[in-house]
Amino acid sequence: MSLIKTENLSYVYSQGSPFQVTALDNISITIEKGEFIGIIGHTGSGKSTLVQHLNGILKPTSGKVFFEGTDIFKDRQTTKNVRFKVGLCFQYPEYQLFENTVYDDIAFGPKNMGLSKDEIDEYVLEAASFVGIKKELLKKSPFELSGGEKRRAAIAGVIAMKPEVLILDEPTAGLDPKGRKRIERMIADYRQATESTVIIVSHSMEDIARTVGKVLVMNHGKAEMFAGVDEVFSKIERLPEIGLDVPSITRIMLRLRSLGYDVRTDIYTVEQAKDELLFLLKERGVL
Amino acid sequence: MIKDITIGQYFPGNSVIHRLDPRLKIVLIFAYIVAIFFCKNFQSIGLMLLLLFVTVLLSRISLKLIGKSLKPILIIILITSLLQIIYNKNGEVLLEYWKIKITTGGVYTAVFTTIRIAALVLASSMLTYTTSPTMLTDAIERLFSPLKIFNINVHSIAMMMTIALRFIPTLIEEVDKIMSAQKSRGADFESGNLAKRGKALIPIFIPLFINSFRRAYELAFAMECRCYRGGEGRTRLRQMKMALRDYLAFLITTASIAGIFVLNHFFAAVI
Ligand SMILES: Nc1ncnc2c1ncn2[C@@H]1O[C@H](COP(=O)(O)OP(=O)(O)OP(=O)(O)O)[C@@H](O)[C@H]1O
Ligand SMILES: [Mg+2]
Repeated sequence: MSLIKTENLSYVYSQGSPFQVTALDNISITIEKGEFIGIIGHTGSGKSTLVQHLNGILKPTSGKVFFEGTDIFKDRQTTKNVRFKVGLCFQYPEYQLFENTVYDDIAFGPKNMGLSKDEIDEYVLEAASFVGIKKELLKKSPFELSGGEKRRAAIAGVIAMKPEVLILDEPTAGLDPKGRKRIERMIADYRQATESTVIIVSHSMEDIARTVGKVLVMNHGKAEMFAGVDEVFSKIERLPEIGLDVPSITRIMLRLRSLGYDVRTDIYTVEQAKDELLFLLKERGVL
Repeated sequence: MIKDITIGQYFPGNSVIHRLDPRLKIVLIFAYIVAIFFCKNFQSIGLMLLLLFVTVLLSRISLKLIGKSLKPILIIILITSLLQIIYNKNGEVLLEYWKIKITTGGVYTAVFTTIRIAALVLASSMLTYTTSPTMLTDAIERLFSPLKIFNINVHSIAMMMTIALRFIPTLIEEVDKIMSAQKSRGADFESGNLAKRGKALIPIFIPLFINSFRRAYELAFAMECRCYRGGEGRTRLRQMKMALRDYLAFLITTASIAGIFVLNHFFAAVI
């Protein structure tokens, strides 16, 4: 049985008013346990809208969402339970931090789950160490943190519920390369330690191609492709058409090919490019 | 959802009503609302309803939307009508049952109250539906500018109103986002007793206030960066000038209001 499944999922904002927008158009996807999935698409393609359906924040205009085979909107209790099993961290952390201390803020989710005090403590400290928030920071007000720290505190607030599926909406947007790397590494560690399913939303192919196993490409509310990273890159020419950037290393390979060198173009990491170029040089007898 | 409230919203358009001088629109709608209360019979209130109906048609705002805007006041209308029917004892008795006596006076008053409240809400809705918030405050600033002689800073008040109006949709959107983020962490806003529900609002209001203060600072900086320094010596991009359509609107409205008094005079009053 698949873990998450959407069936002809469509969503329309402000239906019936002059400002009506179809944000999702007939999306049917299946996500298996333990998968690491990246969702990419241009601004306004419906990525955030889609992930808000997976934990029952938004109710489909038409279509269904299943978690472990049950319709998540079957009744209110089911929807509520799904929110603890599918942890969703929103695009901007300033919408969720509110407590006096970072510790209390991370504890908000576990408290709502009705855990005991000791369990809450354990969950909070574990989540904080995952995201690299030090003990001293836990006593600070969440509003005194830097942008990157706030982001990590917000992610910890979701991880602290120990969800089976972790969804992060643009976790690295607006951070410097070091902060981005840090969050990427943190996600990888978390996945390894907990073997949970992880879904990351991102604008940039470059960011997620390196890490995820499968990519869902969104385009104007439709699921354009849903396949392994390699397969998506084999159709690389499609990406610019739907408003996405090709990673720079891939652009180099495409340019080399157009100059007449016989190189593969479904390459998205520097590592792969190095191997390919060394192979080419050997073939030509330069090395 | 809170998003479906339409009172006070602006629906961009290019109809005659949209293009009327906003100062005139405010004055005429105010006069109209006062005039409704002078109607004493069905002929005169019919005339006023006709005027409103023509305005709605000219504004090209969908009738469905107009119907929706009246929905929130349905309860108020029902309650006041019911009270009128039960307590007003004037006129002939239509029905008597136990202690309740329904009279023609009561029914007429109920009908008139209903029409008046509906027309009042609709007329003021028409003002905001067809006038952009900036135009509206601009017009208010000009209408009240004589108050300057009493040392009242009309410009600042108008500017505050513009900003407040401008940020209503933003705040609603933000509440929506914050609620979603907290619901994702298992917050429950829909169950429990009053105290529990009140407490559940804390995680919404704290981020909302903090974001609003931050935004207020940013907005103030942004305004200063563009050399905003209050109303003194400020000129405007859009000058308001009365056009032919404005004079026509003025004429039609005044004629209709005069018509009320004529009709009141020639036909018997029912309330
Ligand atoms: N609360 C809302 N009310 C009305 N329309 C909305 C709302 N939220 C999103 N939309 C519209 O729905 C569409 C999809 O938006 P969504 O936020 O899902 O895009 P996204 O892919 O997450 O974009 P981004 O990369 O900028 O975050 C957009 O056209 C947007 O304008
Ligand atoms: Mg988004």
